[in-house]
Amino acid sequence: MNRPGRDDAPDRLYTITQGRSRSSPDDPFDLVTLVVAESDPVAGMQSEHAAILKLTRFPTSVAEIAAELRLPVGITKVLLSDLSAAGRVSARHPRRPAITDPDILEQVLVGLRNL
Amino acid sequence: MTAPTHPGDRPSLRTFVSALAVTGVLSALLVCAAVAVAPGSVRTPLAAGGAAAALLLSAAVATAAQARQTARDARRRLESVTQDVGRLLQQQARTTEEARREQQRLIDELAQQRTEFTESFTAERARLEEEGARELDRLRRENARLTDEGERARRDRAAAISATSNTAARMQALATATLADLRAMEDRHADEDVLADLLHLDHRTAQAGRLADSIAVLTGARSGRRWARPIAMESILRGAMGRIAGYRRVRVHSVSETAVAGHAAEGVMHALAELLDNAANFSPPTAEVHVYVEEVPAGIIVSVEDSGLVMGEVQLRRAERAVAGDTAELGGLTGTRLGLAVVGRLARKHGLKVSFRPSARGGTGVLMLVPQDILTSPAPAAPAVAAPRPESAASAPSPDAVDAAPAPETTAPPEEGPAGLPKRRRGRTLAAAERGRSAPDGAASRTAPGTDEGKTRAARFSSFRQAVRPAAPAAAAPSQDGPAPEPSHAPAPDDRALAPDPAQAPAPHDRAAVPPPGTAPDSRPGGHPSSGAGEHSSPAPSHPHTHTHTHPEGDTTS
Repeated sequence: MNRPGRDDAPDRLYTITQGRSRSSPDDPFDLVTLVVAESDPVAGMQSEHAAILKLTRFPTSVAEIAAELRLPVGITKVLLSDLSAAGRVSARHPRRPAITDPDILEQVLVGLRNL
Repeated sequence: MTAPTHPGDRPSLRTFVSALAVTGVLSALLVCAAVAVAPGSVRTPLAAGGAAAALLLSAAVATAAQARQTARDARRRLESVTQDVGRLLQQQARTTEEARREQQRLIDELAQQRTEFTESFTAERARLEEEGARELDRLRRENARLTDEGERARRDRAAAISATSNTAARMQALATATLADLRAMEDRHADEDVLADLLHLDHRTAQAGRLADSIAVLTGARSGRRWARPIAMESILRGAMGRIAGYRRVRVHSVSETAVAGHAAEGVMHALAELLDNAANFSPPTAEVHVYVEEVPAGIIVSVEDSGLVMGEVQLRRAERAVAGDTAELGGLTGTRLGLAVVGRLARKHGLKVSFRPSARGGTGVLMLVPQDILTSPAPAAPAVAAPRPESAASAPSPDAVDAAPAPETTAPPEEGPAGLPKRRRGRTLAAAERGRSAPDGAASRTAPGTDEGKTRAARFSSFRQAVRPAAPAAAAPSQDGPAPEPSHAPAPDDRALAPDPAQAPAPHDRAAVPPPGTAPDSRPGGHPSSGAGEHSSPAPSHPHTHTHTHPEGDTTS
C-alpha cells in the first residue's frame, strides 16, 4: 500500500466488535457453516449486521460472508455470534459429503485431468 | 457796593436795597427842596412828579447797581474756574508724564526679563534636547535589541513549530502505514490469539496516531489523511471511537445515513475523538459515554453525554472559549489539555459548532453541529469506490445479486463508469470488467455456457486442484505467505491490477482465512472443469475462496 489510509475504511476492526476478537467457545460457526438470515435488517442496526442479514437471505458460508464484508473470519464470527444470540440468523452445518475417501477424490481428479 | 465773595441773592439783594435806599433818600431830598423852592401853585404837581421821578430813579439805580454786582461776581467765578482748569491741566500733564515713565520702565523691565527668560529657556531646551537625544538613543538601542530578540524568538518559534509539524506529519504517516500494515496482518492471520494481539496493537497505534494528529493540527500541519470518498456517519463515529482508550464504554445511538465529505471526514473524526476522549476520561471508569446523532436542518448534531464530572460555570465558559477556535495562539496550552484546543482548530477549519452544557445523565454534554455543507449523502458516491473488495473476477458478475457493501443502503454498483466506459473494480482485470459489461445479468452470465464460462470453470478447477495436491502442507499455507513483502512496500491494488503481469504481485488483501482446500467449491455451484491444466496461469479469474497462498502464480486477481 503506497497510499496508506486513502482507500481503506476509517473504522478499526476492534470498534466493529466492541473490542472482542474471539467468539464464544460454543460458537457454532466454522468456515463452511451455512448461515441463513431469520429476519430483515432493521434501522439503527450496525451496518455489518445489516449487511450480513442482507447477504444471508440465501444460505451463505461464513467464509463467503467474511470475504464479502472484507473482514477477517474471526471478526465475522463474532458478528455472527451476536446475530445468532439475538436469534437473527441460524447456522446450518453442511451435510457431510457422501464421498470422503481421499483415494476416490484423487481418482476423480486424475480422471478429470485426463479429460 | 461791597464785594461779597459769595455770590448769591442775599448780597445782591442787599446791594439792591442799599442802592435803592441811598437813591431814594437823595431823590426825596431833592424833591423836597424843589417843592420848597417852587411856588405854591406848582407845588403839588411838582411833588407828585418829583416823587414819581425819584421812585423811578431809585429803581433804575438799584437795578444797575445789582447788575454790576452780579457781573462782578460772575467774572470772579469765571476766573476761579479758569484757574482750576489750568491747575487740573497741569496735574493731568504731570500724571501723564509719570504714567509714560512708568510704562517705559515696565517695558524695559519686561524686555529684560524676556531676554533673561529666553536665554534660560534656550539653555534648558538645549539641555533637555540633549537629554532627550540620549534617552532616544538608549531607547532606540533597547528597541533594536528587543526587536532582534523578538525576531530571534519568532524564528525559533517558527523553526520549532516547523520541526514539530514535520515530525508530527511523519509520525502520522508512520502511524497510518502501521495501521494499514496491521489491517493487512489482521486479514492474514486467522489465529484468534494472533488476531487479538494485532487488535491490541492496532488500538495502541490508533491512539498514537491521534496524538500525532493533534500535534499536527496544533502546529498547523496539513491534515494527515484524506479520504477519497464520503465517509458514512457510522464509520465516522467508529473511527473516532477507535482512537480513544475507552472505546468500549462508548455507546452509539445513530440511525443517520448521512456521510461526511471526504475532505472533512478526518477533521470531524478527530474532533469527535477528542470530545469522546474527554468524556471518557472525565467520567468514572465504568460509566458509559453515550453518543447520539440527530439530523437537523442545519446539519447533524452529535451529542456526547457522559455521567462524570459536572463542569462548573467557569469551566464551561473556558471550554466554550477553547473550542470557539478564535485564539490561534499556542500560549494557553498545557501538556494535558490539548484536546479542546485541537477541537477548536478543527471546528474553525470545518465550520463545526461545539457547545457544552450540563448533561441530563449527570455529567457534561457536548453538542457538535456538523454543518450541512460538509455533509453529503453516501448513496451517489458509494458505488464508485464503495468498499473496495478484492473479489476475484470470477465472482464479479455476481456480486450485484448479493451485494454486501459495508454501507447497506447503497444501491448496486454500476458496472459502467459515467462515460459508459468499462469500469474496472478493484482487483479485477480490465478484461473481466469488459466481460461483466457485455453480460450485465450476473446470473445469466454465470449459467450461460460459453468459452468464458469454460475458462472460468477451468480456472476454478485448476485452483481447486492445486489446492488439493499439496494436502500435507495445507496447514502451512499461511507461513508460506510469510516471506511476502511488507504490505506497506507492496504495490497498491490499483497498481497491481494495472501491472502487465499481475501474477507477480503479492496480494495484500489476501485473506489468510481462506477455507481449507477442498471445502471451498462447496460454497458455490458449478466448477466442473472443461479444459485441462495450464489454464491456471492465465489471467482468467479464479474463485475467490479457492485460491490460497500456496499458489501465487495462480493468484492473479485477488
